[in-house]
Amino acid sequence: MRPRSLSVVIVVLTVFTWLVSMPALADAQTPKKGGTLRVSYGNDIANLDFHTASGYEMMWVAMNVGCGLVNITPDGKFVGDAAESWQMSPDGLLYTFKLRKNVLFHDGTPVDAAAVKFSIERLMNPETRSAMRPFYEPVHSVEVMDPHTLQVRLKHPYAFFLHMLAGYRTGLVIYHPGATQKYTLDDRRQGKPEALPGCGPFRLVEWVKGAHLVMDRFDKYFIPGQPLLDRVIIRVIKDPVTEMAAFKAGEIDFIASFSPEHVDTLRGQVPKAQFMTGKETTPMIFKMKVTNPKDGKPHAVERVPHPIFHDIRVRKAVGCFGVDRKEIVKIAFKGQATPWVGIIPPGTMETVDVNHMCPYDQAKAKALLTEAGYGPGKPLTFELLTSTEKSVFNVIATVIKEQLARIGVTANIKLVDKVTWMNTALEDGPWDAEVEDLLSLLTLDSNGYLSMVGARWNQSRHQDMKINEYYTRYARELDPAKRKVIAKEFVEYSADKLYWNTISGSPFFMVAQPYVKGYTYNAEFEVHWDTVWLDK
Amino acid sequence: MRVYLLKRLLQVIPTIIMITLVVFVMMQSIPGDPVVAVLGEGYTEETAQKVRQEYGLDKPVLVQYFIWLGKLVQGDWGRSILSGRPVLTDVLLRLPVTLELIVLSMGVALLIALPAAIIGALRQNTWADYTATTVAMIGVSIPEFFIGVLLLLLFSFGLGGLLPSSGWVYLPGTCPTIVCSAGLWGNAQHVLMPAIALGVGRAAILTRLLRASMLEVIRTEYVTTARAKGLSERPVVFKHALKNALIPTVTVMGLQIGFLIGGAIVVETLFAMPGLGTFGIDAIIARDYQQVQGFALITAIAFVVMNLLVDFTYTFLDPRIRYA
Repeated sequence: MRPRSLSVVIVVLTVFTWLVSMPALADAQTPKKGGTLRVSYGNDIANLDFHTASGYEMMWVAMNVGCGLVNITPDGKFVGDAAESWQMSPDGLLYTFKLRKNVLFHDGTPVDAAAVKFSIERLMNPETRSAMRPFYEPVHSVEVMDPHTLQVRLKHPYAFFLHMLAGYRTGLVIYHPGATQKYTLDDRRQGKPEALPGCGPFRLVEWVKGAHLVMDRFDKYFIPGQPLLDRVIIRVIKDPVTEMAAFKAGEIDFIASFSPEHVDTLRGQVPKAQFMTGKETTPMIFKMKVTNPKDGKPHAVERVPHPIFHDIRVRKAVGCFGVDRKEIVKIAFKGQATPWVGIIPPGTMETVDVNHMCPYDQAKAKALLTEAGYGPGKPLTFELLTSTEKSVFNVIATVIKEQLARIGVTANIKLVDKVTWMNTALEDGPWDAEVEDLLSLLTLDSNGYLSMVGARWNQSRHQDMKINEYYTRYARELDPAKRKVIAKEFVEYSADKLYWNTISGSPFFMVAQPYVKGYTYNAEFEVHWDTVWLDK
Repeated sequence: MRVYLLKRLLQVIPTIIMITLVVFVMMQSIPGDPVVAVLGEGYTEETAQKVRQEYGLDKPVLVQYFIWLGKLVQGDWGRSILSGRPVLTDVLLRLPVTLELIVLSMGVALLIALPAAIIGALRQNTWADYTATTVAMIGVSIPEFFIGVLLLLLFSFGLGGLLPSSGWVYLPGTCPTIVCSAGLWGNAQHVLMPAIALGVGRAAILTRLLRASMLEVIRTEYVTTARAKGLSERPVVFKHALKNALIPTVTVMGLQIGFLIGGAIVVETLFAMPGLGTFGIDAIIARDYQQVQGFALITAIAFVVMNLLVDFTYTFLDPRIRYA
């Protein structure tokens, strides 16, 4: 064959191949309906009463079985869920929500304003025992204007009202008034499908604790064409090695929360897998206790200074200058986290980098300890509490112990199970310092119930009312520019006082098979599988 | 023989009651408040008080125990403090998985132990004997989780998912849930690695014991007599020697069931199996008293019943017990 003829043949073949592959390429981009998404959870679901249960595992089910008023996008924009529009009055005291007319509960009952009012009032009721209740404190009243219009009146402006409805824990999950009254709390906790008719894209089919949870597509979901999947099956696989093996073997499609220390291994094993992460929204903390109950009884109002860490010089020596955050991140997280000092982690809205306030400086730490009366003659020894919940806690505690030894401080690690940790650290028990990570924080405001004076879970038990003032000012300021200024002041003040001591962000990873399409990563805040499809 | 069986059956009742009492007292002695785990972030003193009343945790310990025991007899094993699910329902859901695992791992143990011990005893101080005893020694020394991880890495991770890494497929016709898969082949695939992981350690113990026992028996006069009568080696070994050598082995097998239940906790967690082991460990970690008590009770019952079966096996192996 002559060279010219050969070129013609090659061109013709190339064009032909391109034309043949065109439909396939186009097809690959068109969402396909059907299929089962197999998800793995590293922890079990506690129970399924969405208004009261704890744990992300429950929350991610709630977000798919239930619906709320609004959702939040990764870039912080609000999008309607059951609400098609909303309006805030100029003084920020009145919110009016217009509901979509085609939203149905899974039993066919329409979702109306009365159901939303019922749900909000249920969350506000102390009898419900919802952890969301403190966030509804600004709500004065909820009024049904017509079946599709709802007004929420606030006692004072609350800049994060929509954030709270969208992404604090589960956000608002609208409960079916009839089913909620008909069935008991135990029925909901056990996950009886008839007790939990949500208005989300998937209806609950079955939950077998410790084994699996099954959700099927709700055909009358209010967004036409969604969800795309027929079914979502969630399995509990606690061991990360098993989870990796199951993923590699194609037994699971989506790991809802993957341990950061195994990311590199899995990346090496399944190079085409999609690893989804972002700036950390959960703080990894090394907190020190500031006060103790005077009579020794937890939660006593009268307080006495903690014998070691009430002294700001000791807090700064140990928690600020005495720990090398970069080294901790390198060892414990294999570099997969951000060293951090501020009260809110690097991925949280309006976060402020105050890392310069706590550089690793052994000389400064030693000087502060000497000033506080510690030294070779009177060495500082304290107990460092941590829990078995995540192996990384123990690693961090060990690195801290090693680093503090360099400045002559002895940290004795006390490793306990999670319940003992909760009983001790959260419940004002006897402890000196602790390593833990806490909840994912959408805003600085959402951290209030863990750090305000008077908050049950203000772990360090500081008594500085200025912290409360900051929280209040910040939450009530409607002007974003002014709010940012308050946030900066607040974070700097907090880093200076070290009632709250962050070590780094606590990284969060989701992993999906290459054929899983359409998922929008939004950290722990919004986990929705209604847009997901399988390109198999 | 009937008297013997009846006696053994009656002995079971006080044993189980004693076990429940011990477990109950131990659970109560653990520091910490389970109500904190129940309420989590919703904790206030008032709500805590209500929960204590709701679960009878405000009553004296002994009263709590008798209330629980009374309900137990009526089939009410209480509800999980965390999930609100009936404990008995969850126990019955998970029991078949663990029973299958235990029975099959014992089967794996016997499958390895019997030939290894017989060869070791008959060819004492040969390379075959040394190999059997060395393998047995290694088997005893390696913990279940390590064998499990090795199997997992080899068959699921390394060989591209030759065997499933986790989960469970039920035996045909035994599906206890709405959504579940069942099939003989699938079940075999899922149980193989866990059963080997759990069985290897037991195999090693049984090999050593049975070998020693066989060595003792083959030197007895009745074995010599059997051989002198002109019996071939097969009936001498299997009918005369092995049957007698099995008696101490069967005793140890009964005791090993306790270890198997303990090992099941590790193996089930590793292979994410929905069995009693994971049920128990989750309950212990969460301080779910009701669930832990249910787990301890079913474990105790299983242990006692299996030992009862072992005792009954004696009557088959040793006629002296049958006619005593």
